Amino acid sequence: MNCEQCQDKLSLFLDSELDETGCAAIREHLSVCSTCAGICEDLAMLVDVSSLECDDNAAPPNPTALWWRINNIIEGEVRAEIRREEKQKETEIASGWVPRRWQFSFSQVTAAIVGIALVSSLLTIIVIKQYSTSDDPLALKSEPTMIDRVLGKLGLVDTPQELRKRKVADREAAIDYWNKRVQERRGQWDAHLRDAFDRNLNEINQAVAEYTSILEENPQDELSGEMLDTALNEKMELLREFSEL
Amino acid sequence: MSLKLGQSLGSSAIIKTTALFSVVFFFVSIAASGALAQKRFSKTYPASKTVRLQLTNRSGTVTVEGWNRDQVQISAYLEAPAANIVPQSLSGTILINVVKDNQGRNEVGNVNFTVRVPYTSSVDIETRVGNLNVSNVRGGLVRANISSEGDITLTDIAASNVSAENVIGDIFFDGTIQSGGNYRFVSMRGNINVRIPFDAGFKLVATAPSTRNISLGAFNGGTMNVVKDGRRVIGRNGDGGATLTVTNQRGSIALIRR
Repeated sequence: MNCEQCQDKLSLFLDSELDETGCAAIREHLSVCSTCAGICEDLAMLVDVSSLECDDNAAPPNPTALWWRINNIIEGEVRAEIRREEKQKETEIASGWVPRRWQFSFSQVTAAIVGIALVSSLLTIIVIKQYSTSDDPLALKSEPTMIDRVLGKLGLVDTPQELRKRKVADREAAIDYWNKRVQERRGQWDAHLRDAFDRNLNEINQAVAEYTSILEENPQDELSGEMLDTALNEKMELLREFSEL
Repeated sequence: MSLKLGQSLGSSAIIKTTALFSVVFFFVSIAASGALAQKRFSKTYPASKTVRLQLTNRSGTVTVEGWNRDQVQISAYLEAPAANIVPQSLSGTILINVVKDNQGRNEVGNVNFTVRVPYTSSVDIETRVGNLNVSNVRGGLVRANISSEGDITLTDIAASNVSAENVIGDIFFDGTIQSGGNYRFVSMRGNINVRIPFDAGFKLVATAPSTRNISLGAFNGGTMNVVKDGRRVIGRNGDGGATLTVTNQRGSIALIRR
């Protein structure tokens, strides 16, 4: 056996995969050839080292490293799932299942938001302007605006007539309350005070009746609405102030 | 015959004299009983130039006059049954509340007040029934409110906020209008007369819906507009710096040049 043949079979020899004859021939050559003997020693050392590394791998795994591996696997699966869904959406859009008009760019969305803000501000200004022109809710506008009509039809706001009726009803409830207080007290007044009270209450009642009658004929009469409110206020004040006596 | 005539004439003279004495005695006794029935109340407080008088009367006449003293002098004639009056002086305000001081009493007679205040005072007076008179006051506020009937007379007033309100009765204002001031006169039935300088600057809203009797006199210029079928006049005089609101539901309104 020459050196070449020996070195070709060294690996098999070290792995004990040669038969007895082959092994004897290798041993015989190694005993006489120092070069091949050196190569054999190097190879044997490598085999030892690799066998040691194999032993390390067989040891129980590092828990932290194990967790990271699991985590990486999960994340990988999730990413894959997301990619799959995106791909599915793209396929649906391409096939016409989801309408393309719902897909907006950033500039389109911004423009839409600014537009909505402008329109709502404009509407708010108009509504505030319309309702602030009259300080008195009882005072009727001669012609209700389109916004009034639309909102009134939708039942979102009271019409001026409804508003007045509601306010008059509130005033009358307060008047009833003070009137009861007056009835409790008036027995203690002298004749002069009683006469003065009755005269003035009668005067106010006549004014209330007059404006109510005008408003029945012409509900849009702003001035009569205002005067009715003033007269009802006067009545309430008269009753309240005399109830203290 | 002549003796009979003389006797007859003598007895007739005696009868006449007796009757005359009876009548005189009757009126004198009535006057005396009236005078005896009235009580008098009087009190004086030292006050700052900007003191505020807040007076609430039940019935009777209230007269407030400005004077050149740093004192508030309260005088009152109390008709029977005499009312309780307990004035209070609280941090620059003189408070008199006849309604509160007599609450729960069945009958209270009229109280007729005369109050003198420094010229520059603020005056806030009200009564349930009776007349209110304020004169010679130049403070920040003059308010006169009658819950029912009575006349309000405000003369020589130079306040920046003036308000007068009654139900039945006349309102008369004679004074100056200050720029940025508020002047409000409201009645249900009566005459409202406002006497102000011709060059006064104000925005006017005068409303007399029932009578439509709104007389602007010398103020009837191009900037005054009659609106709402003649029931209201709105406009501006001079620089329009003050606000003048006059409402008379069933009476007349007149602006008079001072």
